[in-house]
Amino acid sequence: MAPSRSSRNSLQSVDLRALDYLTSPSANLLCPICHAPLITPVQTRCLHTFCSACISLSLERSLTCPVDRKPLNHDDVTPAPIMIANLVNDLMVLCPNREKGCTTSCARWLVESHVREDCEYATVKCAKEGCDGLVERREADRECVHEEVECAFCEGPVRKLDIELHYGECPKLSSDCRHCSKSFLNPELAAHKLICPDEVIDCAASHFGCSHSSRRSELDEHLTHCHFVALTPILQLHTERIETLELENKAIRQKLDLLVPPRPLPTPLSGTSNSNDSSSLGRDMTSEMQDYTYHLYSEYEQLRSDVERLNAQVRELDVKQDMVRFSEGLRYNEEMAGVRAAINGLRMQLHWLVANRREGVTAGAGAGAARSVAGSSAGGDGRRMSDSARQVVKL
Amino acid sequence: MAAIKRISRELAEFNNNPVAGISAGPVSDDNLFKWNICLTGPQGSPYAGGLFTLDLTLPTEYPFKPPTLNFTTKIYHPNVSNDDKGSMCLAILRSDNWKPSSKIIQVLEMAVGLLIEPNVEDAVETSIADEYKNSPDSFKKTAREWTNKYAK
Repeated sequence: MAPSRSSRNSLQSVDLRALDYLTSPSANLLCPICHAPLITPVQTRCLHTFCSACISLSLERSLTCPVDRKPLNHDDVTPAPIMIANLVNDLMVLCPNREKGCTTSCARWLVESHVREDCEYATVKCAKEGCDGLVERREADRECVHEEVECAFCEGPVRKLDIELHYGECPKLSSDCRHCSKSFLNPELAAHKLICPDEVIDCAASHFGCSHSSRRSELDEHLTHCHFVALTPILQLHTERIETLELENKAIRQKLDLLVPPRPLPTPLSGTSNSNDSSSLGRDMTSEMQDYTYHLYSEYEQLRSDVERLNAQVRELDVKQDMVRFSEGLRYNEEMAGVRAAINGLRMQLHWLVANRREGVTAGAGAGAARSVAGSSAGGDGRRMSDSARQVVKL
Repeated sequence: MAAIKRISRELAEFNNNPVAGISAGPVSDDNLFKWNICLTGPQGSPYAGGLFTLDLTLPTEYPFKPPTLNFTTKIYHPNVSNDDKGSMCLAILRSDNWKPSSKIIQVLEMAVGLLIEPNVEDAVETSIADEYKNSPDSFKKTAREWTNKYAK
């Protein structure tokens, strides 16, 4: 004997948040987070009320009250007054199996037991011993529909539940084509559907704008004079060209975006590299890559300006060096000129002296020998004296 | 998922109590995180008569993280970036200002409020903000021209 219906509990679970309410509940009873009537209401220190599950979710993300953003901790959340819980639990709801046919409506706190124990449309385990199948409670006492039976036509095993469905696919049975009402064996029907002359189909150029549709057997005539079909090759070509251009455009745009950063570059390079590292952790790969690119770009910019500065410095140094060399050269030139002038002066004096001496020698050749002896002895004594000293003495 | 439930609840709430001048809804039924928004330019502002489309993107962590709002219609406004993103700078959309209790409709109402009175302290387009402050007539003229050109 199978267990009686009342003792067989439904395994179907009830999602309280998905329930439909008989009348729309007062806005004061709605949770500010899920916008459904409160489920297990709790209250915060700032006296706002939420579903217990909703506020836990919210506190996982931010330790503030979702309504006034005051700081809030898990410890600041306490059960709401029983009156509030009673108010929401007494709201009338429709049975979650309403779509299957159950017309019951009851207070929300009763709906779980209704589905578990009473609802005719709730799914329960099949009555047959050892069967794991599920049925609706109203059908639970009928014979098991999960056992396999043999198809009368193809002799294959089919679950009793699926037998109607199987008849539509059974290879030994034939079905009618929807368009020409001829009968075909199931495996052949699919092939026939592709060529059925009576099926109404669209013109081959319908995606280019032809609105014509007719039976397959009559379409050939339309195709011979359809303007869209005539234009199809060129339209196809254009579509393909547009597609390739779009792709190209996209690639170029991406490249451009990389080269021309839309926002100002981070200027202090050493400072940003660290903050970039820490802030990019939470971001996805693309933005990380973008940051990296910006980083590289700014580094490149910095290096370029460095090189430019160095270039300018080198040029400046060059000019300075030139100036120094030039002024030094000038100074040497002047000195040389001075020395040359002095030498010239000396040469002139020497010439004059030599000429004078020669004159003196020729004029005084007949002068007294004593004087010449005295002159020569004086010359002998003064041989080690400098020329000029001798000249001064002679003069 | 908590986010999907909350978003569908907000959507139902909005459909039951529509706000004049704002139409909003998800781009498709299987993705509630992207919304198409249509705003009509508020009367008395230089945007009057224009129809502005926006994209609203909700994060998967919604409502714990704020949504983002982008104008897809070009608009001459100090708080809307004048590029292909058209991102709107709304005080409550900044993550340090965002509260999980704020709703999408409140965000949209703030956006309409910003069309009526731009916030120059929070401007993204500083040149437009300066123009709005110093020569409001020329600002209004350009804003009206842009509305006629792009938002009709």
